[in-house]
Amino acid sequence: MNALSEQVERSVRVVIVDDHAIFRSGLKADLDSRIDVVGEAGTVEQAIAVIAEVQPEVVLLDVHLPGGLGGGGREVISGSSALRGSTSFLALSVSDAAEDVVAVIRAGARGYVTKTISGPEISDAVIRVADGDAVFSPRLAGFVLDAFGTSPAEIADDELDRLSSRELEVMRLIARGYSYKEVARELFISIKTVETHVSAVLRKLQLSSRHELTKWAAERRLL
Amino acid sequence: MTTAMQRPPLVRSGDRMIAGVCSGLADHLGWPVKYIRLGMVLASFAGGAGVVFYAWLWVMVPTADESARRNSRRPASPIAPAVSMPPSVGMPPDVAAPDAGAQPLPLYAPAPVVASWFKLKRIQYGKEILLGAGLLLVAAILIARQFGVEVPLGTLIPAAAILGGAAIAWMQLDETRRAGLVDKTKADQAGGWVRLAAGLTLVVAGVLVMVSGSGSWEQTWLALLASIAVLGGVALVLLPWGLKFWKDLETERAARVRETERAEIAAHLHDSVLQTLALIQRRAGSEQDVVRLARAQERELRTWLYRDAAKDSGLLAERIAAAAAEVEDAHGHPVDVVSVGDAAMTDRHEALVLAAREAMHNAARHGGGAVSVYLESSDSGSEVFVRDRGPGFDPDAVPEDRLGVKESIIGRMKRHGGTAVIDSSSEGTEVRLKLPVENADKAENRNGDAKA
Repeated sequence: MNALSEQVERSVRVVIVDDHAIFRSGLKADLDSRIDVVGEAGTVEQAIAVIAEVQPEVVLLDVHLPGGLGGGGREVISGSSALRGSTSFLALSVSDAAEDVVAVIRAGARGYVTKTISGPEISDAVIRVADGDAVFSPRLAGFVLDAFGTSPAEIADDELDRLSSRELEVMRLIARGYSYKEVARELFISIKTVETHVSAVLRKLQLSSRHELTKWAAERRLL
Repeated sequence: MTTAMQRPPLVRSGDRMIAGVCSGLADHLGWPVKYIRLGMVLASFAGGAGVVFYAWLWVMVPTADESARRNSRRPASPIAPAVSMPPSVGMPPDVAAPDAGAQPLPLYAPAPVVASWFKLKRIQYGKEILLGAGLLLVAAILIARQFGVEVPLGTLIPAAAILGGAAIAWMQLDETRRAGLVDKTKADQAGGWVRLAAGLTLVVAGVLVMVSGSGSWEQTWLALLASIAVLGGVALVLLPWGLKFWKDLETERAARVRETERAEIAAHLHDSVLQTLALIQRRAGSEQDVVRLARAQERELRTWLYRDAAKDSGLLAERIAAAAAEVEDAHGHPVDVVSVGDAAMTDRHEALVLAAREAMHNAARHGGGAVSVYLESSDSGSEVFVRDRGPGFDPDAVPEDRLGVKESIIGRMKRHGGTAVIDSSSEGTEVRLKLPVENADKAENRNGDAKA
């Protein structure tokens, strides 16, 4: 993680969206100097308005939000689709239920962390998302392995529906609690390569219409 | 009815002459076997009634073994209570007749309290007694005719039709209520509607024949038209009230369901979250205690909120999570579990859980930071990884007398055909437990659909 913090000199502009003011102020205090909080919001409508106004690089987004049509964080992401490409979303929640996690990722979030995460960890996660990478918690990696299955893809044309053996290895190590750096060392690859694999997995998770994924989601009432 | 409950269930006994019917019956009634057998033989000379009765019992009454295999909640045989009243031909019709009239009344009890009481006390017997009483009545009439008594069949048959129809409809009512209580889907209602319609038709036909008396078609038709017109008019007038009443009833029921749910949630929150918050306030000085309490409460609440009702407990993932919770409570140290796939528990998996628990204990005791546990079960076996961020140790340097690692982890896994690898560096320690599937285990593996 050191390499990351050294390479980023600028500060990342962030909007925090959470309906608990106490949590927002606590999170603001936790984030380190690399991060500049430029806006806050407590409801779906406020969030969409604030994000459109300040156009942040990263939005820290609670999954469960009041207001709107009841869609919570998902609704904020779809309501901010005009900014897709310039603004990234990092989902943040106390819930680690599969339906919440996968729903918000499929809506377009670049990563998912739980609210018990420490200050430095979440700062790193924000930087990572701002750089266009994906942030996977062990639990999210577990969900991915559960949804895609643990055997590698054999044929090329179901590329979207299966993880390659390298991606599987990366996901497994993340699920085991390894950081990106440790994954890179374990697999003798660079951190950048790990990030590429994770981003590829995120894309598959968002785009795949794989039968098993649908079935998996349906079983957990995600659809 | 209660006496019938205290009797031994009616089953065909193993101590048998032909099929065990007589001795079973004797056990059930508490009479000597020889009288039953004698009675059966004598009854056989009365037009073969004994033979028929014997054959019927033979077919309908289960053997003792079959009965034991059944759910003990129900009486041994659904018809046992009916036959517990011996359908002796000599029973006077005036005893049977009021029975038939009185029996449907409790079935109609509308108040839920009465209904539940009724369900407890009588539900298993209502139908059988009704049926038995009806048959007795028929038998009595037949006998009376044999002895030359003039029976007014012209009134009896319509009356029987009305009674039978009403009984069928009422049974239906009762059954939908029971189905509604058991599950709200109310499946299999088509049959219920057919029965209701049959009951109604019987009653209407009975009434018509009775009223028109002569049974001439023209009069019957007129009566039918008139009654349909009257019924239609009444229905038209009463429909708005009926609908309103029904709506009110539905609203009230929904409100009651919500209230029950709210009460359950409140009770749960009180027992768990509020208690923990109170404890946290009193222990605010000790950070370790606060973290431990908050963590345990979080885990408990999570399980309660997101528990997967479809998942049965006792599977590997659940057991690993339980072991992690236990370690977390014991050391006040967070243990995060991620599991992929699941497997049914066997003795070997039990060993895996114990080894993993030992590894988690060590990680929480010696390691720093959060302990990560990852379980992966697939067709080829189950793997558990326990990782901590402690200073690490040299597994070879662990003294021989320290059994924790050598015996409880490595030795245990080896004995059950698995492997345990300990990888320790200055940045943390990871224990890798691997339990390949045994050929016999293959069928039990639950990970099939994730891989398909």
